[in-house]
Amino acid sequence: MQRGFYFDQSRCTGCYACEIACRDWHDIQDTSVKWRRVTATEQGAYPDVQLSYISLSCLHCADPACRGACPADAIHKRESDGTMLVDADTCLGADACGACRSACPYNAPQFGPGPEAKMQMCTMCHERLEQGKQPVCVAACPMRALDCGEMAELQKKYGACSEARGFACSVRTRPSIIIKPRYE
Amino acid sequence: MSNPADRETVHITSCPHDCGGRCVLKVHVRGGRVRRIETDEGEEPQLRACARGRAYRQRLYAPDRVQTPLRRTGKRGQGAFEPVSWDAALDEVAGRMLDIRRRRGNEAIMYIAYSGNTGTFLHSQLGVFRLLTLFGGFTPCWGSASFWGSLFSSEATYGTLVAGHTPDDILKAKLILMWGWNPAETVQKTNTAWYLARAREQGTHIVAIDPRFTDSAAAFARQWVPIRPGTDTAMLIAMAHVMITGDLYDRAFIEKYTSGFGQFKDYVLGAADGIPKTPAWAAAITGVAEEKIAALARLYATMKPAKLLTLGAPGRSAFGEQFHRAAATLAAMTGNIGIYGGEPAGFGLAPAGLKPEAGTGLIARRMPGNLPEGARQRRAIHITKLWDAILAGSQGGYGADYKMAYITNANPVNQFMNSNRAAEALSSLEFVVVHEQVLTATARYADIVLPVNTHLERNDIIRPWQGGPYCIYMKQLVESLHESKSDLDICRLLAPRLGIDSYGDMSDEDWLREFWQEARGMTHGEELPDYDRFREMGLHRMQREKPAIAFEQLAAEKPFNTPSGRIEIYSTTIADRHDPQLPPIPTWIEPWEGPQAAREGAYPLQLISTHSKRRIHSNMHTVSWLRDLEPHTVWINPVDARARGICNGGRVRVFNDRGAVAIEARVTGRIMPGVVSMGQGAWYQPDENGIDRGGCVNVLLNDTHSPAGAFCSNSCLVEITREP
Repeated sequence: MQRGFYFDQSRCTGCYACEIACRDWHDIQDTSVKWRRVTATEQGAYPDVQLSYISLSCLHCADPACRGACPADAIHKRESDGTMLVDADTCLGADACGACRSACPYNAPQFGPGPEAKMQMCTMCHERLEQGKQPVCVAACPMRALDCGEMAELQKKYGACSEARGFACSVRTRPSIIIKPRYE
Repeated sequence: MSNPADRETVHITSCPHDCGGRCVLKVHVRGGRVRRIETDEGEEPQLRACARGRAYRQRLYAPDRVQTPLRRTGKRGQGAFEPVSWDAALDEVAGRMLDIRRRRGNEAIMYIAYSGNTGTFLHSQLGVFRLLTLFGGFTPCWGSASFWGSLFSSEATYGTLVAGHTPDDILKAKLILMWGWNPAETVQKTNTAWYLARAREQGTHIVAIDPRFTDSAAAFARQWVPIRPGTDTAMLIAMAHVMITGDLYDRAFIEKYTSGFGQFKDYVLGAADGIPKTPAWAAAITGVAEEKIAALARLYATMKPAKLLTLGAPGRSAFGEQFHRAAATLAAMTGNIGIYGGEPAGFGLAPAGLKPEAGTGLIARRMPGNLPEGARQRRAIHITKLWDAILAGSQGGYGADYKMAYITNANPVNQFMNSNRAAEALSSLEFVVVHEQVLTATARYADIVLPVNTHLERNDIIRPWQGGPYCIYMKQLVESLHESKSDLDICRLLAPRLGIDSYGDMSDEDWLREFWQEARGMTHGEELPDYDRFREMGLHRMQREKPAIAFEQLAAEKPFNTPSGRIEIYSTTIADRHDPQLPPIPTWIEPWEGPQAAREGAYPLQLISTHSKRRIHSNMHTVSWLRDLEPHTVWINPVDARARGICNGGRVRVFNDRGAVAIEARVTGRIMPGVVSMGQGAWYQPDENGIDRGGCVNVLLNDTHSPAGAFCSNSCLVEITREP
């Protein structure tokens, strides 16, 4: 099975609760490292302006480009639920390699400061999933705009759209995300 | 508290800051330290916290926490301090207070307190208020930077502040006018934004009337109506014109429940001044097209139930009280009062859960020697006039020559108008003492700074200040950090030094127990658990089948607590004041530093102050996780930017005669031409040339108030240039 995220862009107000909840739960002190990131897209001219936000983390792709790019075999896909795992001990580090960062179309692989920094990214809070809880970002969203589950189930509930303002979906990697866009 | 087993425990608490929401934080504690913060995971509607609440661990352990008492060593404002012992600091504070009282009297001591803790039972400015009252009195301040126009209007029109609905009622409306109201950022009752999203999904027609295309407008509204700041009253009155001339208003409601509609109607139609307040008349003032005004009026008059939702922003302008009076009048004309899905457009307290007096009122009544002896207080000073009062003193017509400021739960240099004047005023005093958690712009002007703990380091009870069917026990979760103490403990130590032996020896726990006992009789009918059970539960939710709405008992003999027992469109209490600037019927008055002055004077841009989603006013401004989310900028329309050679992300100078602020420009079509905006709360940081490098909007604001006392932060004109 493949676990993935659902994001209701039409509801997102750009409040950043998901981003901060992720940072706090995983104790990511350095603000240059973002496992989850909220970004705004503004279009049009006054007064016909449009604004949307998108909240993205690692999309735990079905065909992850990062894994193929890693020369050290440090990136794996969990068999049980298809979530991505990084072996920091094996990772060659930011300066020596960084191939995953170039390969990922979603800017998911994160390196902290320093040449030795190892890759890190969203784990889909597997420790929470094991306790029967949702990832911390999903549980945080004041708009209930995020969901997480098995992709087949999510598709049944929400359809299969993965296109929205502020998100360039790469068909090649088959990201595990469904989005309800704000603007058609 | 420290946990010998080193096991992680999870506790429910909340935030005590002056935010429109009141949410649940679930705090993980291990080894005496906060490790993580989650939010409500219980039954829906869960009370989910925002980014600020989720980042609270960083505020608790912030490197800029004041760790010990500090004594000033440099010039005021410079921020040079030396650590001193509690004994030395308290002896100095008491010594100076006794000396100033002996030489200049109690009124020479000004107490400046504000909303650092809001909705709390115990820890607030009132502990200090009481100490200073027992000391023989002081000069207090009055007013609100948030919503005084609304508060004043709600009292005058409805006779109460309980004139709102719980946010679940949003789902019952067919039409919602978000008037200068942006709950996606200001929260305005936990879950309001969530209900608005669901309302939009179920087809509710939502319109945003706002100079900015806010996050709320983008997420919820079908239509954005940009309007010049300070002109909302004109648009509302023109909408009344459409309803009157088109016979679209609820005559039965007006006749049965209101008084003074006739005078208002005469004014609207121009019987008195010969000026009919038509949409064409309002279009010239507001910048909103005539047909848009007329269409919105027809929509509001015919789509029922409808909510005109607002809080403070449009009323934070010159003559701002008129906006709220006009909004309430339209709510009455459309018959949207006392019905589900309607909204009185009054002060937004909802009739649910603990009443407002169950917070601050308890201290006032239960603690001996407190407010009942308020007769000892000298003339109060409006928060916008503090600096003038200090600088001008009795010569300027104020009640005294002020020699000392005692400041707690507040950051007035930053958050009250005219920061440069604030700096000058505080620098002129003999003595300034500040209780603080971090070294704010205000604390930098202190002679003595006393370190205060946070709500995670002491026990308290909190209610949603705008009313709601729940309350939260905020248990002490960790020992007070560094040498910090609560405001109450500081007062307990100061009292004997000031010769006060009646401050009392009751513990926080004793007070809370006693307050809770009394609060149990201060709800809107809901039952409350006993103290020990409540303390154990942390969150107490009161079950409700339906939303709580104001004035549900319209059938009662006197449903409105006004002199006439009716909704006073013509306010007799206002009329009694005989102030030509404060007419008894809702009236459009051209604001100072408004659009007309912008066209005529040296400063052509209207500046509005907004809330920022990465701060709560000036709280949490230095928390790096939150700072990282968005840069602090001034918003400017591409038309105005182009005319000044300003590009997006460029450094600019925003200035007027009161000061200058260096800041980054955000060029965006999300703000109307002629208007610029800055998020209030960034910390004032003047450089050697007096240019504020911190981006504090109050550097630019005019330190005056509206006739009824509203804080006119949206009546301000500026010019912007590229940073030289």
